[in-house]
Amino acid sequence: MAILVIAEHDNAGLKAATLNAVGAAAKIGAQLGTEIHILIAGSNCAAVAQAAAQVAGVAKVRVADAVHYADQTAENVAALIVANASGYSHILAASTSNGKNTLPRVAALLDVAQISDIVDVVAPDTFVRPIYAGNALATVQSADAVKVITVRTTGFDAAAGQGGSAAVESIAAGPDLAVAQLVSRELTKSARPELGAAKIIVSGGRGLGSGENYHALLEPLADKLGAALGASRAAVDAGFVPNDYQVGQTGKIVAPQLYIAIGISGAIQHLAGMKESKVIVAINKDPDAPIFQVADYGLVADLFAAVPELTAAV
Amino acid sequence: MILGKQAIDDDANQTGQMLAALLGWPQATFASKVVIADSKATVTREIDGGLETLALTLPAVVTTDLRLNEPRYATLPNIMKAKKKPLDNVKPADLGVDVAPRLTTLKVVEPAKRSAGIRVADVAQLIDKLKNEAKVI
Repeated sequence: MAILVIAEHDNAGLKAATLNAVGAAAKIGAQLGTEIHILIAGSNCAAVAQAAAQVAGVAKVRVADAVHYADQTAENVAALIVANASGYSHILAASTSNGKNTLPRVAALLDVAQISDIVDVVAPDTFVRPIYAGNALATVQSADAVKVITVRTTGFDAAAGQGGSAAVESIAAGPDLAVAQLVSRELTKSARPELGAAKIIVSGGRGLGSGENYHALLEPLADKLGAALGASRAAVDAGFVPNDYQVGQTGKIVAPQLYIAIGISGAIQHLAGMKESKVIVAINKDPDAPIFQVADYGLVADLFAAVPELTAAV
Repeated sequence: MILGKQAIDDDANQTGQMLAALLGWPQATFASKVVIADSKATVTREIDGGLETLALTLPAVVTTDLRLNEPRYATLPNIMKAKKKPLDNVKPADLGVDVAPRLTTLKVVEPAKRSAGIRVADVAQLIDKLKNEAKVI
């Protein structure tokens, strides 16, 4: 038996989240002494296969290259994974919007219970996962023959993206189920690092007052620090920034080296998404804001004065 | 069929997707906009990089995200009316469904608490701390 990791990719390159999923697979594999394989469903995705073959610790890369995998719709990809599931004791994917979309379908088709969003591996059948917005950690044991798992990327070290030399093999594409068609994709274009992979995140909340203020104040600071931009749910709901900026229980879970929360009160749902950050800075004019309870460095100040001063000084 | 995207307690984020797979239906998870027309559901989804719009054949499963709509909270008159509405109770066994859990919770612990750090007096002290104490910038 081997361990299968589903690649997160955009047909042009392998996404970093895959490396964290491989990191989790390695932790299971070390206990079982089994191989790790990567499965890629895509279209014209040879570059992805090449990148995946170089990931340290991966023995084999299996590629299904077909036009109907270009958009990686859950229906087609899940069917492909299930068709190739024999011989695997574990099937893992990163807990990205893609992984969360596809893997439960795989679990249902295999008649097993998915283990969502694991942050640690205790034994090959026992995992730790956060519940209640990260306020408790549950250790769960699976009785299923195949463990279908999504991996919280902040819980595992990324496998090295270089140094491996896995064999690449083509596998037959499944049929196009043709039940879901991609109409359009509006991806936020940004030269800044991805939120999930950024070392520094500058994040803004309702305290900024408007989208204009958000951009005018936070972008120069983020650019100077080489940081990604994030936001609280309040700032997204108010339309300051698009949904993909949201950090929190229902948004992105991040754990950068430095998280700077500006004008964010620190609702429990927001803390669930960022409290694993190494260093947390909070700038807020309300000294009683809950964000200060998790911040390493708290600055009680008017952000409209403090942020430009900070930007000028770093 | 419309479901929420994840429960606020176990955050598993899987019921809608599993249901769609078991029914053999297409799915659109994390929906922020749903339009039904010409026997298709056109659903805008919140994804990691931004937004994506899918056209699904019907029937389909949609799971909702935060910005789909304003939640319709129950009003007091409707809560009163609800008491008079018929309730159909069905047991899983009646439907021939095995609901024995496949996952056993061995233990639940509180994560390591993050303690509050220090308050800095001004921006200059903050930068000094970040550079010389935390060494993150």
